[in-house]
Amino acid sequence: MEVLMVRITLNRAYAVRDHWSLTASGTFQEGVHLVSGDVGSGKSTLALMMAGLFSLSGGCIEKEGIISTMLSLQFPELHVTGLSVAEECASWGVDPGEILDATGLARRKDASPLSLSRGELKRLQLACVLAKDYDLLLLDEPFSSLDCGEKAKLCARIGQKSQGICVIFTHEQDILPRVTRIWEIVDGTLVDCGTPPDAFRHWRHVPPVIRKLTALGSRPDNISLDDLREAACRIQG
Amino acid sequence: MQDPRIRLAAAAFLSVAAFISLQGAAAAFLWWLVFTPRLQIAKRVRLVFSLILLIAFFSLVRELFGGSGLSYFSRMTVIVLIGMWLLGEQKPGEFLTISVWLFGDRIGFELGMVAEMGMQSLVSVTADLDRIQMAEKIKGMQWGVYSLVPAGLVLVHGALARAEDTAELLAVRGYRSGGTLCPEFLTGPLDRVAGICALGVFLSALMPVSEFFILYR
Repeated sequence: MEVLMVRITLNRAYAVRDHWSLTASGTFQEGVHLVSGDVGSGKSTLALMMAGLFSLSGGCIEKEGIISTMLSLQFPELHVTGLSVAEECASWGVDPGEILDATGLARRKDASPLSLSRGELKRLQLACVLAKDYDLLLLDEPFSSLDCGEKAKLCARIGQKSQGICVIFTHEQDILPRVTRIWEIVDGTLVDCGTPPDAFRHWRHVPPVIRKLTALGSRPDNISLDDLREAACRIQG
Repeated sequence: MQDPRIRLAAAAFLSVAAFISLQGAAAAFLWWLVFTPRLQIAKRVRLVFSLILLIAFFSLVRELFGGSGLSYFSRMTVIVLIGMWLLGEQKPGEFLTISVWLFGDRIGFELGMVAEMGMQSLVSVTADLDRIQMAEKIKGMQWGVYSLVPAGLVLVHGALARAEDTAELLAVRGYRSGGTLCPEFLTGPLDRVAGICALGVFLSALMPVSEFFILYR
């Protein structure tokens, strides 16, 4: 049986905005990818480029085996197209009942989505996005507006994904899922840092806790909380 | 044009000239051709097109029921072009400096600040609208009549939230009224010429054509 390979390749993809530009090269294969970078470095633009929603000024993006693509925008209000919470779930093509139960919003199904707090709306948006499988899933700042518990749940949910490419664009430094490859945007260029734990040596945005653990001689295998705990336990013996 | 005072005054003169008579509109259009970077309009082609379409509709209604629709269309189109030029040249902070220069640190500062907030809100609403359309595309929805109500609600909600944030920020910083600002303006070499010509267009529009030409009836 032939296994269909999914892959997205950026060939010197170039984007320009008023006083700013971004150049991106590299291949994203199946697995979970982390793209880190400072605020304003171009993570959201890169997400839009990969989703085909931003016109390139140069270069090209090639997709192989990718039939379905989903982009989750940073601000959940901008995704709202339904007049009630239930209608909003349905607009994502998912079963509202399941989503409302999973997010604990069943009692507010008739309320306007805009009456929810940003955290609740973000939870709802992510639940709808993650309810379906996509060949290419792009999550722009998925951890913003979420508390620690919700961030951990989201990491677990992302970890359960067994197929397709998932790219997380974030500047989150504390609670992250286990990833296949780490990338970062430095001075307007996308840099491939490699696979963890080797990637930690080149990664400029490496979280302080990983830096500290490495300095203490116990480098974690990956960036998830479980990996960090395991590395910390090694120090304590 | 660098000096925002001359720019604002020129826009006001030209708009009034274009509004009151067809010859004023023709002169204002000529002024627009000579003194503005006309390609700037290409950046706002969507907005210009929508506005001209709207004007065309009302002109047609006017032509059908009362006459002079073509004149109305020509005059309004020139006003739109002047408005687009003014909007394109506008830089953040200019309303505040002009307002303080005109009305002083108290009323001028407040008026200018309100105008700046209005402009900022307009920019944010435009950006939000683009993102909403993008979000609908992501969901596989078609932009149309059915999306107008939710999109409108999101836009109003966003504008109100931003206004609330700004009000809270001003209150937290202890803002009560007025403020100090020393307005400084740079006047480009052609600014004065363009300003005087705009005044000329305005004055010529006020005078009846019969003052200059012998008209046969």
